[in-house]
Amino acid sequence: MLPALVRKTWRDDRLALIGWAGGVAAFTAIYTSFYSQFQGAAELKQDALPQGMLDFLGIADMLSPAGYLQATIFSLVGPLLVLMCAITLAARTIARPEEDGGMELMLANPVSRTAFAWQRVGAAGSALTGIAAIPGILLMIIVPWIGMDIPLSNVAAASAGLVALVWSFAGVAFLVGAATGKRASVLAITGGLAVATYMANAIGGMLDGWHWVRWLSPFHYFIGTDPLHTGWHPPELLTLVLLGAVTTIAGVIVFDRRDIGV
Amino acid sequence: MPGRKADDDVGMTSDIALLTEDLTKFYGQRRGIEGLSLEVRAGEVVGFLGPNGAGKTTTIRLLLDFLRPTRGHASVLGLDPRSDKAALHRQIGYLPGELVFPGRDKAEDLLRFFAAARGGVAWSQVTELAERLDLDLSRSVRTMSKGNKQKVGLVQAFMHRPAVLVLDEPTSGLDPLMQQEFLAMVRDASGAGQTIFMSSHVLAEVQQVADRVAIVRDGQLVAVERVESLGKRAVRAVEIHFDDPVDPAEFSVLPGVSDVVVSGPVLKCTVDGRIDPLIKAAARHEVVDMLSAEPDLEETFLSFYYHGEGAGDASRAGA
Repeated sequence: MLPALVRKTWRDDRLALIGWAGGVAAFTAIYTSFYSQFQGAAELKQDALPQGMLDFLGIADMLSPAGYLQATIFSLVGPLLVLMCAITLAARTIARPEEDGGMELMLANPVSRTAFAWQRVGAAGSALTGIAAIPGILLMIIVPWIGMDIPLSNVAAASAGLVALVWSFAGVAFLVGAATGKRASVLAITGGLAVATYMANAIGGMLDGWHWVRWLSPFHYFIGTDPLHTGWHPPELLTLVLLGAVTTIAGVIVFDRRDIGV
Repeated sequence: MPGRKADDDVGMTSDIALLTEDLTKFYGQRRGIEGLSLEVRAGEVVGFLGPNGAGKTTTIRLLLDFLRPTRGHASVLGLDPRSDKAALHRQIGYLPGELVFPGRDKAEDLLRFFAAARGGVAWSQVTELAERLDLDLSRSVRTMSKGNKQKVGLVQAFMHRPAVLVLDEPTSGLDPLMQQEFLAMVRDASGAGQTIFMSSHVLAEVQQVADRVAIVRDGQLVAVERVESLGKRAVRAVEIHFDDPVDPAEFSVLPGVSDVVVSGPVLKCTVDGRIDPLIKAAARHEVVDMLSAEPDLEETFLSFYYHGEGAGDASRAGA
C-alpha cells in the first residue's frame, strides 16, 4: 500500500488535479479537432503573420499536420498550461503547507524529513506526469481518427518532450519551495525562469550570434529539435529529465537541513 | 532516589523522557531560547510556563525537529530529534500552538490519515477520545469553531497513546467544561505512565495536573519548581483591619511585604514568602479582622517575570 502521506497529498489536491486535467484535455481535444476546418483558413493566417513573428512563436508552418500541432499544442499555449499546473502543484508540496501551517501536523508523523519530502514530491510529480501526458495520449487517439498525416512516433516524441519539460520546471519549482518555504518565491522565480528561458529559445533562434543562448533554455531541448518532423532525440530529453532529477534531489537535501516554518 | 546510584547511566537514559542541555536557538539576531537545560522524567507532568514570546513554542519546535538548535542539544526518550525523527515521532503526541490542519477533510478522514501515518491506530481509541471531548467527527475541520478544532488536535495527539505528549497551549479555545475534561485526560495519561510536557501562559490549569513547572522569561529558564513548593513561596494578598489608623511606613519596610495601601484603619498588602513578619508587626496593634486569600499562583507566576530574576524577597521589597 502507498504511504498515507502520498494518498493524503492526492486527496487534498484532487480538485486542482481534476481541474487541470480537464483543462488540458479540453484544450488538446478542441484544438486538434479543429484541424480539418482550419485547413482552409490556415493559408490566410500564415500570410497574415510576418515570418519573424512566426519564428518567435515557434511556428514553422501551419499548413502541414506537424506544423499545425506545433503551432497549437506544442509551441506556446500547451507548454504554458502544463507549466502553470506544474508550478502550482510543486508549490503545494512544501511551500504552501509550510506557509499556512498545515505542514506541522503532517511532519509530526513518523517519517524522516527526507521521506516526507520524497513522498510529497512523489505524489505531486506522479499526478503532474499524468496531466502532462494527457495531450500525448489524446493525440494518439485523435490524430489517426481525424486522419492527420503525421507519424505517431513523432507525436509521441514531442509529447514525451512535454512531459520532460514539465519535470524539469517542476524540479526547479520544488527546489525553490523546499529551500525557501515561500509560495510567492516559487511562483515568481520559476515563472520568471520559464518566461526568460522561453524568450531565450525564441530570440536565440532569430538573432545571429545569439544561437548559443538557446542551449541554456529547457524549451530548446523540448522543441528545438523539431520532434514532430524529426522524431526522437534521447539526449535532449535526457537533459530535461536530468535537470528535473538534480533539482528535486537538491530540494530534498536542502529541506532536510533547514528550519521549518520560521 | 535511593538505590539508583549504581546504575546511574542506564537509569538516566531510561528514566528521563525529555532532556535539553544548553539548548539555544537564535533566529538571526533575535533570541528564541538560550541555554535551556531541563530534565523531565518518564511519567511526569511538567507545565512549561511563560508569557507570550518567552520561547515556549521555540523550545517545543526544537524538540519536534522543526527547528535545529544554534547551540546545545535536546533528546527525547534518549533519541535524537533529528537523526531518529521517524522512530521518535511514533512515540510522540504533538499538539501545535497554531493549529492548522492539512486539507479540507472531515474530522474522521483526517484522523484516519493520522492513524494510517502512524502505522495503524485502533479506531476505538479515536472514537473514545471523540466521545470524551464531545466531538462530532462527521464535520469538516475547516468549518469547525476554534474549540472544536482544538478537540480534533487533542484527539490526534492522544490517539496513538504516545510515550510522550508535547502540547503547546492545549486548552486554548476550550470551554471550562472541556478544559476540565482535558485535565482529566492528562491525569489518565500520566497514570498510564505517559510523560506530558505542556506549555501554557495560564498557571491555574497547569497547577491542577502538573508535578513541576518550568518557567521561562525572555528566552531563559528562570525557575523549575514542584507545584507544591511554588505554593509555599506563593504571593498572597492580605487585608488587615485595625482598631485605629496605622502608618503604612511601619509595614512597607517588612521583608516580603509590598504594595502596601493603608486607608484609615485598613491595611492591604501582598506578602511574598513567610507571613510571619507581617503578623508580628500587626500584633503590636489591635487587630479586628484579618483576611488572607488562598496563595494565588497566578500572581506568583507573574512576579517571576515582572520583578526580575527569581522574584526573591529582595526584588519584591524593592518593587
